[in-house]
Amino acid sequence: MSTVSPNAAEVTGVSKTYGGIHALRGVDFSIGVGEVRALLGKNGAGKSTLIRLLAGAESPEGGQVVIGGKRLERPNVSDAQRLGVRTVYQELSLIPELTVAENMFMGEWPMRGGRIDRRLMLEKADEALSRLGVRVDPRAWVGDISIADQQMVEIARSMSRSPRVLILDEPTSSLAAAEVDRVLEAVATIKQSGVAVVYVSHRVSEIRRIADSATVMRNGEVVATFPIAERTTREMVDMMLGVAGEDAERVQVPLAAGPPVVEVRGLVVEPKLHGIDLDVRPGEVLGIAGVLGSGRTELLQVIAGVRNPDSGTVTVNGTASHGRGHRFAQRLGVGLTPEDRKTDGIVPELGLDENLVMSDFTKVATAGVLSSDRVKRAAVQAMEAMSIKSASSSTPIGALSGGNQQKVVIGRWLHAGSSILLLDEPTRGVDVMAKQQIYELLRSLARSGKAVVFVSSEMEELNLVCDRVVVLNGGLITAEHTAPAIETDQLLLAAIAEPA
Amino acid sequence: MPTLTFRREAQTTERGRTLTAQQLNEGGLTIALVLLVIVLAVTTDSFATVSNMWNILGDAALVGIVAWAGTLVIVAGEIDISVGPAVAFWGVMLAKMAGPWGFPLPLAVLLTLIGGLLVGAAAGWLRGRFGVPSFIVTLGLWSSLRGLAQFMTDALPVPIKPNGLLDVLGGKIGPIPTAALVMFLLFAVFVFVARATTYGRSVYAVGGNARAANLSGINVLKIRVILFATSGLMAALLGIVVAGRLASGNSGAASGLEFSVIAAVVVGGTALQGGRGSMLGTLLGVLFIAVIGNGLVLLGVNSFFQDVVRGLLIVAAVLVNTVLGNRTGRRGD
Repeated sequence: MSTVSPNAAEVTGVSKTYGGIHALRGVDFSIGVGEVRALLGKNGAGKSTLIRLLAGAESPEGGQVVIGGKRLERPNVSDAQRLGVRTVYQELSLIPELTVAENMFMGEWPMRGGRIDRRLMLEKADEALSRLGVRVDPRAWVGDISIADQQMVEIARSMSRSPRVLILDEPTSSLAAAEVDRVLEAVATIKQSGVAVVYVSHRVSEIRRIADSATVMRNGEVVATFPIAERTTREMVDMMLGVAGEDAERVQVPLAAGPPVVEVRGLVVEPKLHGIDLDVRPGEVLGIAGVLGSGRTELLQVIAGVRNPDSGTVTVNGTASHGRGHRFAQRLGVGLTPEDRKTDGIVPELGLDENLVMSDFTKVATAGVLSSDRVKRAAVQAMEAMSIKSASSSTPIGALSGGNQQKVVIGRWLHAGSSILLLDEPTRGVDVMAKQQIYELLRSLARSGKAVVFVSSEMEELNLVCDRVVVLNGGLITAEHTAPAIETDQLLLAAIAEPA
Repeated sequence: MPTLTFRREAQTTERGRTLTAQQLNEGGLTIALVLLVIVLAVTTDSFATVSNMWNILGDAALVGIVAWAGTLVIVAGEIDISVGPAVAFWGVMLAKMAGPWGFPLPLAVLLTLIGGLLVGAAAGWLRGRFGVPSFIVTLGLWSSLRGLAQFMTDALPVPIKPNGLLDVLGGKIGPIPTAALVMFLLFAVFVFVARATTYGRSVYAVGGNARAANLSGINVLKIRVILFATSGLMAALLGIVVAGRLASGNSGAASGLEFSVIAAVVVGGTALQGGRGSMLGTLLGVLFIAVIGNGLVLLGVNSFFQDVVRGLLIVAAVLVNTVLGNRTGRRGD
């Protein structure tokens, strides 16, 4: 293990609130030169906020951020970068239409005589890439190289600025196993050069290979910091979850489920899923657990017909539906509410009524002519059934809160009469009360005989809603639990543990 | 992507306020139109006459007949710049079929309309099936339709024998230009289509968020094919009207029409990026542009300079529109 003093970065006593909610509460955090620190914690634990404070993207309320012995006086990204903090966020920020070299020196192009010195730029790019052991042609278009290579280019770009602290936010969440190794090798090289690395990931297998130490966060506080070798994965899970107060509202008795309506067999979607067998039954809420990038979304998309599998079959109500498109699946009764509500879910300018009925106009129209009465009735009915709060049934959906938008998007498939509901992160960006309402809605839908598949990143939600939960890890289903024996810690353990 | 969604969010308000913004825009345009009419009535002798009013409507129809379909195209986030050459081409085709090729006129008219529909549908299919930007597809049509019309005629008019049907279409019923009647009739149809049909609402949904519309089960390809087919059909219809007016098929007809249509649509408050817009706004935009054109002639403005004034007024109208939109809490971009 490398020396842990002096500190490359130090955060003392910082707090941060968003709309009255504490995202961080008096957090102390420090990382030494050449140290690789894993940052762990479930969603909403405060990891992102801490990272953003270090990167200068947020200003702390109280406390201070010190980088390389110098205090970050006015928190902004360029000052933090000057002090030596570089961040590679989960969403890559490269421009696909430019070359690797151009991307790497964006805004800081090597100039000669008022023009960009292309030769020097290529040389420097090549050097920065090869230093990390990356074999990518700096002249290639970024859009043409693989996601893993793009990830490496982002890291190389950050490294070419000679940072003191490098923050990697879930750098492997969109990569396949073989590609993960390349990122880990690069991190090892970076560590050798004395740069401190904050490594956010849920994959314990990676963390154990690469990190010296780990900091676990929970509810905006640092729970503990320890050398990685001293704790078991089990202990880390316990720290992430805390002493979970026994929740009275969790599902006690699973609903009686009928014979499967969806049968997934041998499903392969490269690089995420490697042979999934799954049954979805009417009258139950089936949860799918897994960390970011575990293939949850891909699994739902294949069932919904939005994505074609590389191999394997999907049978819906006895009809093979894989590879036949989403409208085919919809006719078989499958409805998908997408993960990204804003880009894939809603038409913001249209009213909630129209957003609701667009899944099936035939129910509110005669020969292609809409009946405003029937549209209104459908909307009002949905508003009452799902307690959607809105000034009127024709209010543009973009003006509603996230929770109400989500209910409309779910209601769309109820309007269409779908019997199989696939909900990808329906509680993301939704307030606490709306979450509770969505849980109740899903329970009652299952009771009424619908098959509900529920995907959530928040593991502790699953036993509040699900009759049965399967865990995705390493492209396979690694665990299955049935209510009332769905334990959050077991799920998390199965989701982050090294695949057997 | 994130910035895009962010902007959408910032744009959206209660429909009450959106309506206000839309009404503000339509109200403002109405006021501008009335002011323009008053100024022209005071400053010229010949403007405020009944016959000139019918003239203005007759001129407006030459844009309006294709502008309703054009509004839907733009609401869907698309563009059709091929309408001018399409009008000329189908006028020529009609004249050829009814003249040298010896088709009976009703058949020639029918084939012209079907032809316009099919060419438009093909453009929509290229857009919808292969994702070729509609600007490019219709740019290709813009060039080749005009070229084909000129090639077929050596750029000379193809006369059409006097004929009852065409005379009525290109002429007047009583004092009223038939084209104006056609325009208003189509306006009613398109208002209904845009507001009350599943197709019309699907157009708004596709323009507002094509990904969400597609995932909800709307057949986006079908919508796009119908959009351009309708636009092509209307261009062919206008081609027949224009041919009737000129008593010939003319390869140089309707030059610049596509930009008059786009101008009328955006002056009317329809967003070029799609998702928002109204037929009433476009009607006001069409009238606004027709009154300006008529007024400039009556004021004796140099005909080259008329284009300058027209250009400035269009930008000014959209600017006011945008600023008003921002004031009411909407981003007007």
